[in-house]
Formats: sequence, C-alpha cells, structure tokens
Amino acid sequence: MALLDLLEEKIIKVPLESDNKTEVIREMVEVLSTAGKISNPESVIAAVLEREAMGSTGLDKGIAVPHAKTTEVNDLCVALGISNNGVDFDALDGEDSHLFFMIIAPPNQSSQHIQVLSEIAGIAKSSAFCRMLKNSENAKEVLELFLEE
Amino acid sequence: MNGPIKHILVYLDGTEESLTAAQYAICLSKATGALLSAMYIVNTRALNDLVKSHIFIESEQDEYQRDLQEDARKYLRLMEKMAQEKSVAVSVYEESGAVQGVIRDFIRNNDVDLLVSGKVSNIRSRRDELNNDTERVIRNVSCSVLVVKDEERVWEMFDQMA
Repeated sequence: MALLDLLEEKIIKVPLESDNKTEVIREMVEVLSTAGKISNPESVIAAVLEREAMGSTGLDKGIAVPHAKTTEVNDLCVALGISNNGVDFDALDGEDSHLFFMIIAPPNQSSQHIQVLSEIAGIAKSSAFCRMLKNSENAKEVLELFLEE
Repeated sequence: MNGPIKHILVYLDGTEESLTAAQYAICLSKATGALLSAMYIVNTRALNDLVKSHIFIESEQDEYQRDLQEDARKYLRLMEKMAQEKSVAVSVYEESGAVQGVIRDFIRNNDVDLLVSGKVSNIRSRRDELNNDTERVIRNVSCSVLVVKDEERVWEMFDQMA
C-alpha cells in the first residue's frame, strides 16, 4: 500500500490552526472524523497521545508523524496537516514542526502500516520535497506535489 | 518434472493480490509438476529503518515484529491448506530481512526458475515506483516472473481444479 492510495483532499488540512501539540493532534483527528474515516475521535486522540507520551514522533526538518494502532478504525487512514507558523512537537532537533503525517491503523494491518510509515520516512529525508510541501497553499497543491514527485 | 518450469516461488505479503498469486502458483505447480515454494518475509529492514528515523520506539519495533511474524504464520498456514486441498506439495518459508534481498538469494540458492507475483498497484509517481517492494522484486530478480492478474478468473480456475 502506498501513501498515495490513502491521500485525498478531504484528509489534508492547510493550514492547521492549532499552536500546540495536543491541539494539533485533536485538529487532525477531527479532520479524519469529518472525512468519515473514524467514528470515535476522543478514543483515537487518547491513543495518539498515549503513543506520544512514550516518545515524541517529532522528527527533524520540521516533520512529525503522530501515529497509533487502535481498534477504532477498520482500515488504515492518514491525515496530512501543514502548519504555517510551526508547532513545538518536542522534535528531535528542538525546532518547530510544520508537516504532520498522522497514521491511524487497525491492529491487523501492521504490514500496510509499516509500508506507509516507511514511505513517510523516505519523504522526511528529502529536504526539497518537504520544503515544497510546507509552501503549499491548499490540499489540491499538496496532492499535485505527491503525484509529480 | 520434464516441463520448462522446475521450481516455482510465490511471495506472500498478506495482500489479496498475493493470495491470488498463491492460488495461481498452486494451479501451475499441479499442471506442470514443478516444485512449489511459498515465502513470507518479515520486513525487519523496514522496522529497523523506522527506529533509526525515530518514527518507531524500540517497544513498537518489537510489537510490530511480533505482529508480522503472526501474519507470516497465518498466511503460510493458509498457503499449506490451499495447496493441500488441491493435493499439491508446498514448502513454506518464514524469512526475515529486506524483501528484495531475501527473495533474490532464495532464487539463486534454490534454483527457482519462476517467481509468481501478485499484480502491482498502478504507479502514479516516482515515489510509488521506488517504495513498492513487489515492483522492485519483479524488476531485479534473476529468474522469469509471472505477474498474476484477473483475480476472479484465477479464483474460478482454482475452485474448478480437482
């Protein structure tokens, strides 16, 4: 399974409005809820926060990958959010995070979960692509970038 | 085993496409008398990379590795059951490592002359091409590759085979 199989405009939010870690997670889960991907947002928020408590998923270069495995979803789902101002996500390099890839996976889809996370790890290595993503003004532009790259 | 195919390998990854490939490989083995091997690879390379990139913490790596090992056993048991239904002998292998390398080595060391693979997704970006394990395997193995498509027809063929 590729990230592009999961990305669609309704699960991409540009720009994110939140200015702290917990609120970003909440905002992105709400994106998934509004898109009809999850039915119990509070439980998903709790699962993501529980994972974050074990160690931040804020990487370097302004990317964060909050994720959780939960029975609240039947299929793997992804939300992508871009913050113009940046958010303190306890990132490895201490810098603010701008690109947020949220992955919520059911317990029985570990293989697909790993494939999608691996693809995001690859994206995180590409400074140029991350910079272009960060400069996107709307969901359509984000999707176009993924298709072009 | 006098036909053109002596040893078939089918690679299972838990997808519907790979199970269709498994059914096709069973039919092909029965029709040609070729040896049949089936393999599931726990992708420990990907797990290690996720820890290195700090997306995973070590306890997640252990948890996901256990999940993948359970998947491997589940799908290889299913493969044995499907083959048994059709009176076809199959050797199953649970391996770990980097998918492409493990398959390449197995093919070389076991004289596999046909890899049967599930169909690959449509490639919509260069990243798709780079990230798809099945795509990379198809491109890089040394033996011939049969990519199985039209799953309804394959299921029908499998069901009808005595």
